[in-house]
Amino acid sequence: MAPLRILTAVPICDGHDSAVSTINMELARHGFEVIYLGYHCPVSTIVRAAIQEDIHVVGISSYNGGHIVFFKEVVDQLRALGAGDVPLFGGGGGTITKADERVMQRQGTDRIFHAGTPLDGIMALIRKEYGRTLKPNTKLRGDRALARAITLAEQNPTHRPSPIAHHPPQKRTRAFVVGVAGPGGAGKSTLIDELTSRFLRQNPAGRIAILANDPSHPDTGGAILGDRVSMIYAQDDRVFFRSLATRGSLTGLSAAAPAAIEILRASGEFDLILVESVGIGQESDPFGLFGKKHRLVDAMLFVLAPYYGGRLQLQKIGLLNGADLVAINKCDHPMAHTARAEIAARLAANGKGQRLFGTVAAKHHDPGVDTLYAALAELGHLKVTPGGEKPCQLEVAP
Amino acid sequence: MSSLGKIADAVDAYNAHVATEVARARTDIAFAADLRARWAKIRAGIETTHSPTGTPLPRLALPPTDEPGAIAEYLLGQGLPGEFPYANAAYREMYLDRDSEVGRVIPNAPVGAESKDQTRRVKDNPPHPQTPVSEEPMRLFAGLGLAEDTNARFHYLGKHQKSLRLSTAFDGPTLYGLDSDHEGVLGKVGEGGVAIDTVEDMTRLFAGFDLTRKDASVSMTMNAPAPVILAMFIASAKRRFGPDCVPNLRGTIQADMLKEVQAQNEVIFPIDASLRFLCDMIEWCVPNMPRWYPVSISGYHIAEAGATPVQQAAFTLSNGFTYLELLRARGADVNAIGPRLSFFLDCGLDVEYLVLGRVCRRLWAIGMRDAFGANTKAQVLKLHTQTSGRSLIAAEFQNNLTRTAVELMLAYLNYTNSCHSNSADEPFTTPTAKYATLASHGQSIIMEESGVFKHTMNLLGGSPGLLQLERQVEAGILAVFREMDTLGGVLAAQEQRYQRSKIQEAGHAYEQQIYSGKRPIIGLNKYITDEPMPSVPLARTSPKKQHLQVERLRAFKKKHAKSAPAALQKLENVARANGNVFAELINTVEVCSLGQITACLTNVVGKFRPMV
Repeated sequence: MAPLRILTAVPICDGHDSAVSTINMELARHGFEVIYLGYHCPVSTIVRAAIQEDIHVVGISSYNGGHIVFFKEVVDQLRALGAGDVPLFGGGGGTITKADERVMQRQGTDRIFHAGTPLDGIMALIRKEYGRTLKPNTKLRGDRALARAITLAEQNPTHRPSPIAHHPPQKRTRAFVVGVAGPGGAGKSTLIDELTSRFLRQNPAGRIAILANDPSHPDTGGAILGDRVSMIYAQDDRVFFRSLATRGSLTGLSAAAPAAIEILRASGEFDLILVESVGIGQESDPFGLFGKKHRLVDAMLFVLAPYYGGRLQLQKIGLLNGADLVAINKCDHPMAHTARAEIAARLAANGKGQRLFGTVAAKHHDPGVDTLYAALAELGHLKVTPGGEKPCQLEVAP
Repeated sequence: MSSLGKIADAVDAYNAHVATEVARARTDIAFAADLRARWAKIRAGIETTHSPTGTPLPRLALPPTDEPGAIAEYLLGQGLPGEFPYANAAYREMYLDRDSEVGRVIPNAPVGAESKDQTRRVKDNPPHPQTPVSEEPMRLFAGLGLAEDTNARFHYLGKHQKSLRLSTAFDGPTLYGLDSDHEGVLGKVGEGGVAIDTVEDMTRLFAGFDLTRKDASVSMTMNAPAPVILAMFIASAKRRFGPDCVPNLRGTIQADMLKEVQAQNEVIFPIDASLRFLCDMIEWCVPNMPRWYPVSISGYHIAEAGATPVQQAAFTLSNGFTYLELLRARGADVNAIGPRLSFFLDCGLDVEYLVLGRVCRRLWAIGMRDAFGANTKAQVLKLHTQTSGRSLIAAEFQNNLTRTAVELMLAYLNYTNSCHSNSADEPFTTPTAKYATLASHGQSIIMEESGVFKHTMNLLGGSPGLLQLERQVEAGILAVFREMDTLGGVLAAQEQRYQRSKIQEAGHAYEQQIYSGKRPIIGLNKYITDEPMPSVPLARTSPKKQHLQVERLRAFKKKHAKSAPAALQKLENVARANGNVFAELINTVEVCSLGQITACLTNVVGKFRPMV
């Protein structure tokens, strides 16, 4: 059976992530795939992720009160979006009492793990109660249908499911698919989020999809898929975000990624699809850019940090040759100047018209990211609306 | 090398210096004679007192030795209470009872010997000049419901206290800079702390208290929105006590953004912007609020999130040094800033807590003097301690009274300058009145009913057990300093998630120890009785009150709908022009709510990208 996927989160205005971190590590150690949303999560973020990630169960860790209202809102919103079958459990040490649990169960929460429950007991119970095979379901609509199609592809990567059967396309948007690769720690996820913010600002009606591939643990088979945590702008209904664990695939992508890309393309929903590989560079060819394989993407963005280890190491990064766009992220680093010169020389030698950009994705409104996005939009013929900064938001009572 | 490497080197150099001096005391006859003479003078100056049962006691206990090497070791390695390197205490007398009968020891008489002098009543004996005004160290943290509910709790707790101590906990929306009418936060309003949206709430919070009193002290556990909340506090005080009251306001605001990023996760703006707003506030407070501590460098949340005692101390001290460096880079004087920093540590039940405060005071003093060139006043680490919340459990929760009592004892043995004791019912609720009172009385029993700390300073300092522990803990802290130094210092290490991953690993190990039984927790994994969980009253905020808060906020926004946009525009201009945001906030809060201000500043500097 495919690994059980669990969504974990801490409610809005709550920063207590000590318990949930321990639970995440234990879940991964027991072979579960954990999609972690982090702390201070609004209900809408949790519900959106539950739908797009097509998880088996949601677990919420709440330590500073207000849990009765919060859990009820999660259940209510899941139901309102046709995902009332997704079970929800919770924990909160001693802050959620037995009496609270009874109220919460009446309102749709499945169960509460109380203080003192042994971790092994929690793991066994999760496996027993929530471990089921997610099946094709023609009643599903919208993002849920897309998400389920990807789940089925994950269960059987060689079988190409027909997404159309589950998800009659409403729109006929032609998607521009961009692979994003680079060594671990270069800031790919942050850059993707920043590019997403530019897309959302310049395409007021468009949608973007992100496929984030992360490695499974080679021994336990578990994974902590934490890419959603650091997303600020991708927490939006116009973003379809799916985390994929590699499940033993060594290409840099999940074996289901080709099918997932096909499903997203065929849906006609998206203007832009970004496919993030695991941290790679020297050898693998996740997007089929070299040789005679089928190309998975329309273009490739390679992201690296200035401290790649010098000219010799740079020569070994084979994937650089397949990139259309190259970003040196963290280019406020002291080594960026040298890096820029070295990479520019390498790209010039390639003679393929590859373009080089310097970005500081961690900086608010970084002009380097603006330039990179403009180049990407040009390449993919995306709409470019001159955006300016939003005026100071003011909430005034009517 | 970042400053951490220099600080670790300075400590090593100081320890080597002590060793050299000890050796010299044993070989250099003139130096030995000097030390003996100094020692005799110190001993002669020690007053004596009597316990209530008549036992004569010295007001300060010193090691019973005349050996010059041991004297040098004590005076240089530990320092007398109130003297460099401050291992024993920040001040000379700390908790000593100043109303008790005090006499003089006859010079050269054995300590504690009877003398005629001792029978003389010296009621008017002035306290040691180094010691600030006599005040009890107790601080009780409170915050629940709406401002008027917390105000009532303050008045209730105040009945048990000599001086005015108001320590404030805020609810989740306030801690994250959100208004009570923000989407999806209604259930959190007034939970776990008080809801503050506007300057009017702030006025309700402290109603009936004269905040300009000499013995008044307000503390606020508030971080990311600290500049906004302190601005509301100032604006409200000006309304109540006149525009000139600001220099008289005394207290502390936590405002420790580094520990937020590393452990507690209440961060709104990107790190550089968060630090900038904090420095703006500190720079404004230093000249304008001479009685205010604008930052409380906190290990508490680092420990609660999982850190070991050594990690807690290492991260807290290194964060403190980082603030100092940031402010120095902006042109501030270390000697002006140093005395305005305060520290806040957790005290749990692990053995290292016997010495944690002592070691921190010593390392801070050496680092400040030898790495930062700070003067005496700036070398003293002023410490607030809170008993460990993580050590309290829901099962058989009345055992928590004992846990807290033991932790209090450890905290006081470290001569903390102030202390908060947790309520036994905290694992499941914001403290109810009954357990808050018991927590307060726990401190009174130790400090007032028991005689342990009343008569003699330096009960255990210099004992073999403490010394050994101090050395080990200090070595552990310096090792962490050096590791962070190789990563490029505190901020660089933080970017690489060093502190976070260390804290998480330690937290995970702690949980594993509990589940495996290696770490006994009575009533949880050992000596479990089948006693069912008693039903205890919970302090929760009713939906009616939550709606009332929203109505008040909306009325405030409506009242100021015309003036708010201009005030926000002015704030935005100051923020964009790199002006002092805090100075402007004191004006902005007159007509804008916390959430409006947060939204405005977010628009300028962006949002914090969460770290896992």
